[in-house]
Amino acid sequence: MNQSYSTADKQDTRQAQRFSSTSIAVLTIYSLVVLMIFGSRLVSPSLGGLSQLMTVLYLSSFLVICAFGQGLVIMVRGLDLSVASMITLGGVLSTTFMQGTNEGLYFIIPGILLISALVGGISGFGITRLSIPPFIMTMAMGLIVYSVCLGFTEGTPRGFPAPILNAFMQSKVFGVALPILLMLILIVIFTTLQSYSAFGRKLNAVGNNPDAANIAGITVKRMTISAYAISAACSALAGVLLAAYANGATLRMGDDYLLPSIAAVVVGGSSILGGRGNFLGTVGGALLLTTLSSMLSALGVGQGWKTVLEGVVILVALLMLREQVFASLQSMFKRSS
Amino acid sequence: MPERINITNLSKRYGATVALSGVDMGILPGEVHAILGENGAGKSTLVKILSGVVSSNAGTISLDEACIRPSSIIEARRCGIATAFQELSLIPNMTVAENILLPRASSGRFWPESKASIFERAREVLIEWEVNDISSQSIVADLTLAQRQRIELVRALSHARCLLILDEPTAALPDTSWLFRQIHHLTSRGVSVLYISHRLNEVREICQRATVLRNGASMGTVDLAGVDDEDIFTMMVGHGSSKKKRVSQESSTNGEVLLETYQLRSKMLKGINLQLHAGEILGVAGLEGQGQQELFRLFGGLHKPTSGEIRVGDKVTSLSSPRKALQVKPGIAFVPEERKTEGIFASLSAAANISIPHFAMTGWAKLVNGRIERHLAAEAADQVGLAPRYLGFEVGHLSGGNQQKVLLARALMTGAKILVLFDPTRGVDVGTKQSIYSMMRHFVDQGGAIIFYSSELSELVQLSSRCLVVYDGLITDDVAANEISEERLLASAHGPGNARKDSLQEAV
Repeated sequence: MNQSYSTADKQDTRQAQRFSSTSIAVLTIYSLVVLMIFGSRLVSPSLGGLSQLMTVLYLSSFLVICAFGQGLVIMVRGLDLSVASMITLGGVLSTTFMQGTNEGLYFIIPGILLISALVGGISGFGITRLSIPPFIMTMAMGLIVYSVCLGFTEGTPRGFPAPILNAFMQSKVFGVALPILLMLILIVIFTTLQSYSAFGRKLNAVGNNPDAANIAGITVKRMTISAYAISAACSALAGVLLAAYANGATLRMGDDYLLPSIAAVVVGGSSILGGRGNFLGTVGGALLLTTLSSMLSALGVGQGWKTVLEGVVILVALLMLREQVFASLQSMFKRSS
Repeated sequence: MPERINITNLSKRYGATVALSGVDMGILPGEVHAILGENGAGKSTLVKILSGVVSSNAGTISLDEACIRPSSIIEARRCGIATAFQELSLIPNMTVAENILLPRASSGRFWPESKASIFERAREVLIEWEVNDISSQSIVADLTLAQRQRIELVRALSHARCLLILDEPTAALPDTSWLFRQIHHLTSRGVSVLYISHRLNEVREICQRATVLRNGASMGTVDLAGVDDEDIFTMMVGHGSSKKKRVSQESSTNGEVLLETYQLRSKMLKGINLQLHAGEILGVAGLEGQGQQELFRLFGGLHKPTSGEIRVGDKVTSLSSPRKALQVKPGIAFVPEERKTEGIFASLSAAANISIPHFAMTGWAKLVNGRIERHLAAEAADQVGLAPRYLGFEVGHLSGGNQQKVLLARALMTGAKILVLFDPTRGVDVGTKQSIYSMMRHFVDQGGAIIFYSSELSELVQLSSRCLVVYDGLITDDVAANEISEERLLASAHGPGNARKDSLQEAV
C-alpha cells in the first residue's frame, strides 16, 4: 500500500518541477533584463536609471507587438518571414492614406489592419491548402509585399502620419509614455488571448499535434490561417506606430525586426518546433534584446560587432533556458534551502 | 546451469522520479523469460537499461559472468543483446532491406555496396526468419503496422547472439504463431529471450519463467507452470483481481438504430452493411488489414467512402471531417489506435486534453484557465477512473494507460452518443483495462452505443453484446451474444471458407 502511495508522491514532485520550470524561465529572463539595465550603470553613468528603463520599454513596444504574431505562428509550427515587409506595408499605407491629416483615422487604421490580415491570410491559405512550406510561403509573400511597396512608392514613400498619432507617440501620462501604456494594455489582451482563451487553447492543441486536433474537431486549417493573419496585422500595427514615431515611412523600416521577433519568441522559452509557448516569456525576450541593443549603441559599438554580440547573447540565453540547467538550478535551490 | 544474464540490485532514477529500485533476476541460456508488471512498474526502464538506451544508477548486469554496462544501443549489440522496441524504430522512408541491415546497410569498405547486393543480403535474412510476404525492396512507410512490426522483430532476431529483448512484440501482430516459431528457432541455438507482454496467455504459451515487477522492484521469479493467473495478478498489483465475468449477455438490438451503413465501399471495403443500436457494444473482430481500420476511420470522418451511404440517427450524412462527425446528431466520437501521433497533446495538461472538445466546437472568446479545465474535466475523468491528481499533469508524462484514459475521457466530453474505438486497450495494463471496460458498459447503459475493434479476442468475448467479423473488406459473420466465443471468432476471422479445426489448432 505504501508502495503505491510513494509512486504517486514521486509523480507529484515531477508535476511541481514542470510547473516551476516555465515560471523560472520567465523569471530568469526578467531578472536578466533588470540586471542588464542596472549593470549598464557601470558602463556609463548616464545609463541604468529610470529614464533608460523607459527608453527600453518605449523602443521594445514595436518588437513586442510583432513578436506576439510571430509567437502565434511559431506556436502552430510555422515561421513568419514576412514580418519586415508587413511593417513596411503598415508604415507605407498609413503615411499614404493619412497624408498628414487626422481625417478618417478611425477607419484608416482598422482598414490597414484588415488589409494586412488579408495578406497574412493568403500566406496561411497557401500553407494549409496548397501545402507550401511556411518558410517559403511567407518569404515569397514578404518579397511580393515589399516589391509592391517599392513599385507603388517608386522608392521613396511620400506622405506623413496623422498629427494625432505623432502626438500620441510623444505624450506622457504621469511620466509614462502613451506607447508604453498601449503596450501594457496589449500585453494583457495578448496574454489572455494566448493563454486564457478558447482560441489560445485550440491554437496550442494544433501546434502540439495537428492530427489529434483534427480528430478532436478543431478546424486546424482555419486556426493556422488565423495565426498568420494575426501575425501580419500585428506587424502592420507596429509599422503604423513606427511611422508615427519616425514621422514618415521608409522601405527598410521593418528590417531590424524580423530576426529579433523570432529571437524574442525563442529566448522567451517557446519551442521553435511549436506547441509550447508563453507570451510573457516573449515579452521578456523582447525586453532583453532591446536592452542589449540600446546598451551596445550607448557604448558606441560598431554595427558589425553589435550584431555579433547580440547573436552570442541569444545563444547564451537559449543554452541557459535548457531543461537540464533548470533541473540543476532546482536541485541547487533545494540543497541550499 | 550458469545464468546467461544476471542482474543484481539494478536501480535507475530520473531526476526525482525513481523508475527502478532494486531489481534482481537471472536468465538461463536458451530460456524465454517474461517480465510482468502493470504500466509504470519499470518494465520499459529495465528494457532501456539492458539495451543501452539509458544507464543505470546502481547495480550490476553480468553477461556470461562478465560485468557489462552498455552505454549505447550499438555497444549492447556488440555484447550480443538485440532489442525490438515497443515504439517502432524503423526509418520510414528507407527500404526494408536497409532497415534490416542497419547500422551496416552497406558492407563496402571503400565503395558503397550495390543495391542488388543489399537487397539480396536482406532477402536471405527475411527467408531465414520466414517472412515471405514482404519484399526487401519495399519502402517501410508503405507497409501496414503489422508488417512493420515483423520487420522490427526480424531485425532484432537477426542481431541477437546472446539475448533478445522483445517489448510488447505482439501489440500489433494479429497472429502470434509466426513470432513463436522464430523464438523457438532462436532459443534452440542457446540464445535467451526476455519477453515483455501484457497478455498473460501468450506469456504462458511461450515463456518458462517470469519475473514480476511492482513499483520498480522485482517481486520474485516464478516458474510459470507452477502458478495460476490469480497468483501472478496478486504479485503484480498486490491484491487479487476480480475474476473476469461475462456481463451483458443479452443482446440489446431493440434500441433505436443510431448508426447504419448501406453497401459502404472504399479502397479496402467491399460493401459493408451494419447497424449499431443504442445500448449496444458492437465488437469487431478481424485479422490485421481486413479493412476494419478504414471502416473505423470512415466513421471518424477521416476517410471518404467511394460509394454507399452512412445514416446517422436516421439521416443520410457524409462524414466529411471529424468535426462533422462530432456535430451530426447524435454525434460520433472517434478514438484512434495511435495514441502518440493522433491522440494526445503531449505538452498540455490532462485536464486541457480532456476538456478540449468543450472549446473546439464553440467560438474563440471563451475564457479558460487550469482551474476551469480541471472542473470541466472532472466528471469525464471520474467515469474512466482517472485519478483527479493526474489532471494537472502534462499528458506526455503520464503512463500509456493513463494517456488512454485521458483520450476516452475526451471522447466522453464531446457528448457524442456513438463511440468509435479502435483497439482501446492496446498496450495498457490490467487495471486500466478494467476501468475502460466499466466505462464502456456504463456508457451504453446510459443509452449510448459503442462500436469497437480489438486485437484481443478475449476482450471481444468479454465485452461485446454482438460481434461482427470482417474479412477482406466484408462482414463475414454476425455473432449474437450467447454464441460469442474465441474459437468462433477466430474461425470466422480466418475467412468464411476456413475450416474451424485448423484455426483452432493454430490458436492453441
